Amino acid sequence: MMPGHIVRFVVAIVAFAILARLPAGLDGAFQFDAALALIWGFGILSIVLLTGYAGQVSLCQATFAGVGAYGAGMTVASLHGGYLLGIIVGVLLAMVLGVLVGLPALRLHGITLAIVTLGIALVFDKYVFQDHLFDWFTGGSGGWQVTQANILGISVDSSKHLLAAYDVLLALFCITAVLMVNLHQSGAGRRLRAIRDSEVAASTMGVNMTRYKLLAFAMSAGIAGLGGSFYPLVAGSVSPQPFWVFTSLQLAAIGVLMGVRYVPAAALGGLFMAVVPDVLTRYGHGAFMGRVYDISYDWFQLAVGVLLVLQLILLPDGVWGDIRGHVARVRGVLPGGARKQVRTA
Amino acid sequence: MSEFAAYTIIGLSLGAIFALAALGIVLIYRVTGVLNLAHGAMGMFSTFVAWQVFYGYPHPGMPTWAVTAEAVLAGLAFAVVLGLLLELLVFRWVRNRPQIVKAVITIGILLALQSAASLIWKNNQYHLPIYLAPQDWTRTVAGVPIGFSSILVVGVTLALAFGLGALLRWTAFGRAMRAVSDNPTTAALWGVRVDTVGAVSWMLGSLVAAIAGILITPLGINFDTTSLTLLIVDSLAAALIGGLVSLPLTVLGGFLLGLLETYPTIWIQSLGFPRLIALVVILTVLIVRSPRGLPGAAR
Repeated sequence: MMPGHIVRFVVAIVAFAILARLPAGLDGAFQFDAALALIWGFGILSIVLLTGYAGQVSLCQATFAGVGAYGAGMTVASLHGGYLLGIIVGVLLAMVLGVLVGLPALRLHGITLAIVTLGIALVFDKYVFQDHLFDWFTGGSGGWQVTQANILGISVDSSKHLLAAYDVLLALFCITAVLMVNLHQSGAGRRLRAIRDSEVAASTMGVNMTRYKLLAFAMSAGIAGLGGSFYPLVAGSVSPQPFWVFTSLQLAAIGVLMGVRYVPAAALGGLFMAVVPDVLTRYGHGAFMGRVYDISYDWFQLAVGVLLVLQLILLPDGVWGDIRGHVARVRGVLPGGARKQVRTA
Repeated sequence: MSEFAAYTIIGLSLGAIFALAALGIVLIYRVTGVLNLAHGAMGMFSTFVAWQVFYGYPHPGMPTWAVTAEAVLAGLAFAVVLGLLLELLVFRWVRNRPQIVKAVITIGILLALQSAASLIWKNNQYHLPIYLAPQDWTRTVAGVPIGFSSILVVGVTLALAFGLGALLRWTAFGRAMRAVSDNPTTAALWGVRVDTVGAVSWMLGSLVAAIAGILITPLGINFDTTSLTLLIVDSLAAALIGGLVSLPLTVLGGFLLGLLETYPTIWIQSLGFPRLIALVVILTVLIVRSPRGLPGAAR
């Protein structure tokens, strides 16, 4: 076991060292994209944990991220707490909501859970994040503004120190990713996977369903909330739009598209979700062979939808899973059998 | 008192829309085992096709009723083609996959249809309703004015519910549909054309979604690409009251949900509050009614 731990640790350190200074040479908008990619990367990481490991479907992961964002924004802008406290409050609030969503999940699974979580995403999008009743939490229609912030003495506000915020996020992402891979190998991870494969078999084997389902939902919501709690820092303010119901659906779609069982797919998915729409809206207009074209954000969502349908028909294990299968076949580890263990969602 | 009655009319019309959309969900779920989260999006897209024909280009010399008929027929025809294409190109190839995978595929369809519609008709922009009858056609019953569109939507819902019920119960094709819904393999062994039955279910379901979408526009409810797509949650709540199987309970559930969502708006001025009621209904039904999941959920 030990060599595996060391390898993962070294990979994470090297990845951090390479990626930490990479956006420094880019313009401000791409630095924002890099930070946003990590925020959505956390969102997809939370889906890997909940769906890929524990087999629980959720269509409200952006809601958890939104609760994290509003929790952090409220702590900093309204209660004048430090940003570290804001992150802690955001993550805790998201985890509380995660446990609340996990409670009905104790009796539900599959499509019924999908319906419930879709309903929760819609309620938070149209009601909690937008109604005047919750102005104390959402800061009203203007949202919370965060202009000054520091974490343990490091200035991380978006106006001048966006790169510092990105580095903190990146470090946290690398740590969380390593912990997630370790979790997969651990006893708790085996129990979660047992629940995914068969709830009846898992509970017969003595897996405490209540504890592990709630644990999966709390951890997953906490991870999504951790990413979300950096949103006010990175964007300078919070608004309901980034965390509306379609973001939740996109997170689920991109998570499945990239490979819902694999941690690296989260990084891939986050990058895809943050960078592609921005590149499309910035460079996607002009003229080609005399015809004027204008590619907007909607083209990205259209592509996600179509790609998801194609992927589920053709590559059930997702993009990363498929790449992994090819690599393993080339190396002769899994001779032609990479698709044997295919199980999506 | 007349305020209460007026809200009852609104609630019943809204409930009829939920019931209508839910009928399509139940039909597709029962026969093909697909929980269609893109149902609202399909209805939305067909409605916009009808809207495009109604407003999109001039109709010189045509009387209003002919323009309306043309628009509605175009929307419905599009819906049938859309349902057929989805079955032929997508769902025929994933018939033996787990139910949740098929539901996730419908999320992809939802995202694609929604963004395609906002590309064509612009997002967050309200559209004029498709008037199926002159707006001043109202009947006054006991001092309460009832708009023609309300009468129409309730009537169409009841007629379609009875029609679908009769189709399933008394026709040979309905028997084939029920056979496929019970067990596709056995049905195929008995000579039922499972492919045809699946395709017809998708066409019918899509058609019903389009009817719901077109009928909702004259009710004066916000009409843009996202709001119609997100009707899926309310329709799912209605469908769950019927356990995703029963047509009569689904229709009752739709009306009940419509009333439940409308009455609080007498006191609570909030656009989002009705969504909370839908969620509470979903949770109540799922936890009280069927702790072991839904019928057919194991498929």
